[in-house]
Amino acid sequence: MLIQALQKVYRKPAYIFLTLFVSAVMFALAVLFPNLRLITDVLASTDVSLASKIQLPISLLGAIGTNFSAFAAGYTILIALLFGIYIGMVVYFLKRRIKDVGKSGVTTGFLGIMSGVLGVGCAACGTFLLTSLGLVGASGVLSVLPLKGGEFGILSIVLVSVAIYMTAKKIQSPLTCKIEN
Amino acid sequence: MEAHTQNKTNTLAIPIALVIAGVLIASAIFFRDTDKSGAAAPAVDQQQQSAGNLESMIPITSEDHIRGDINAPVKIVEYSDTECPLCQRFHTTMQQVMKEYGKDNKVAWVYRHFPLDQLHPRARKEAEATECAAELGGNDKFWAYLDRLMEISPANNGLDPAELPKIAEYVGFDKNKFNSCLSSGKFAQKVETHVQNAQATGARGTPWSIVVAANGKKYPLSGAQPYASVKQLIDIALQQK
Repeated sequence: MLIQALQKVYRKPAYIFLTLFVSAVMFALAVLFPNLRLITDVLASTDVSLASKIQLPISLLGAIGTNFSAFAAGYTILIALLFGIYIGMVVYFLKRRIKDVGKSGVTTGFLGIMSGVLGVGCAACGTFLLTSLGLVGASGVLSVLPLKGGEFGILSIVLVSVAIYMTAKKIQSPLTCKIEN
Repeated sequence: MEAHTQNKTNTLAIPIALVIAGVLIASAIFFRDTDKSGAAAPAVDQQQQSAGNLESMIPITSEDHIRGDINAPVKIVEYSDTECPLCQRFHTTMQQVMKEYGKDNKVAWVYRHFPLDQLHPRARKEAEATECAAELGGNDKFWAYLDRLMEISPANNGLDPAELPKIAEYVGFDKNKFNSCLSSGKFAQKVETHVQNAQATGARGTPWSIVVAANGKKYPLSGAQPYASVKQLIDIALQQK
């Protein structure tokens, strides 16, 4: 069912491009997040050459290999890819004007991505968004979690996967009018 | 008619949910990265302090632990935790930086302490140990001790405290003198001052670095960024005159 729905959506190259674009944006956001302030400083600076303004954010993407553990890098990439797929499927819905996309599917996808955002960062070095938001005791909470916050990444993968499944189910549902009781 | 309204509501739920997600993410970024040191209600003081202000950085002096020339046009002030695996990774990156930029006195590396007690309770004592190394042997021995500590620690609070005197012996100290210094706790306040200063500048985790250009302009660098990014930022800072 899921495969068939994906085949239906990705028959058109536009959805492949959309998925890749959304995934790339999510990935970039996750990796660049700790240094958004630096990036905005550099972009806003009049003393910095255009080439440097372009090269710095690109080079910072390399942080996926240096500023993430293998586990964190894995789930960061996976979340970005899954979210791209999810958005591609949702847009497919909208384009086809199917009005009955399940609210629960939307909510699950939304929760998934928020959970993923909370999980962005370094588990071992306290650079999670939770701590970034200045939440009192967030570091303490993370320190008692077995995966030191990697749980958010796993939760996110599960939630976005569920959202994709629910959306796929809707796509595969026949377009019929329900008989009102 | 009712069904039509219901359908319309459901369809709108998707873009609305996405917009809300975007707004929340943007809000998170805003609260994290905006310096809001202005007047504010006491209830949000803690969060505002955590937003940080780079200008709060304690000025660099000869009292700092400096690798390279203190008069170098670009200085990288690193707040670090010896038990953080990414700090160990970034330590290697900074060694590479000094190999390339240190020989021409273009960059100086300033090391300050930011042990994350809740994640690595042993890191604070290790920070004190490096200070003892500085007291017993000066700046060069501080770096020798730090390099060795970063090299052998398994990270994530994994270094046995019994290794600290062994490292001291390895870099040429008298074990007893070192132990006496370490047990005195005389550098605890200095480490705490660094921790508080790191937080005041906006540090949320480690490694946290501030790249200072010749004209005093400061750039925040969070995390163990790749050498290419550090190099890029140094080159930008070198252009600031």
